[in-house]
Amino acid sequence: MKRRSFLKSTLVASAAGVAVTSGILGSSNVFAASVVGADLAKAKSVDEILTMLGAADAAESDKIKIKAPEIAENGAVVPVGITSEIEGTTEIISLTAANPTPFAARYMIGEGAEAAVKSRFKMGMTTDVIAIVKAGDKFYTAKTNVKVTKGGCGG
Amino acid sequence: MAKSTIKLRTKEKGGKVQVKALITHPMETGLRKDKKTGDKIPAHYITEVKVEANGKTVLTADWSGSVSKNPFISFNYAGSKGDKVKLTWTDNMGKSDSIEKEVGKK
Repeated sequence: MKRRSFLKSTLVASAAGVAVTSGILGSSNVFAASVVGADLAKAKSVDEILTMLGAADAAESDKIKIKAPEIAENGAVVPVGITSEIEGTTEIISLTAANPTPFAARYMIGEGAEAAVKSRFKMGMTTDVIAIVKAGDKFYTAKTNVKVTKGGCGG
Repeated sequence: MAKSTIKLRTKEKGGKVQVKALITHPMETGLRKDKKTGDKIPAHYITEVKVEANGKTVLTADWSGSVSKNPFISFNYAGSKGDKVKLTWTDNMGKSDSIEKEVGKK
């Protein structure tokens, strides 16, 4: 346990270090790229995550397609597919707004890979599924609502 | 071969390789309580999944506890038969596993 909390604090410290550097460079995107998944997973609200990513001003885009069921019978396993048709997509971030930890997943799209990923998420209750796509220096967003009839968190 | 925690399927079609993987993992959020004792079940989830094709990273995923138990992931990349696809996962307890497969081979 001690070792882990040590690791965590080092992560935070290094993130802060980068923040200082990015301040000098005058670019917020440097900071955004350095946000680690572990920190995002700790965030308690969608706004917090957006701020961490530097994506607070993300524009809504209809080029992001979220494939998710309208009504999910079992919130523990909800298949969600996100496809971005925005050119130069490098990251796809998926959030489930109503979960205690809204951050669900971040996919870094490597060379040659299509900006389309499918996985399955847990949803405690009816929630918005928010997709954030990073292309170049810009963020785009889209969302869809999933009705959950049975909770996924120990329900 | 010992039983892997990862089931990996790859399929090549028209210059694209479809990668599908199923990982056996409890994915505990750390918020759930044990019904009998009322103690919290410690968080235990995969934090990173990395997929490489011929040594080049094609997809990195940061996950949280909001990803379902026994997670599934699927995506495509531009590749061909014979590519060596390697998937590695690491969880928040420092455990990890990986698997490597050649595209087009069972």
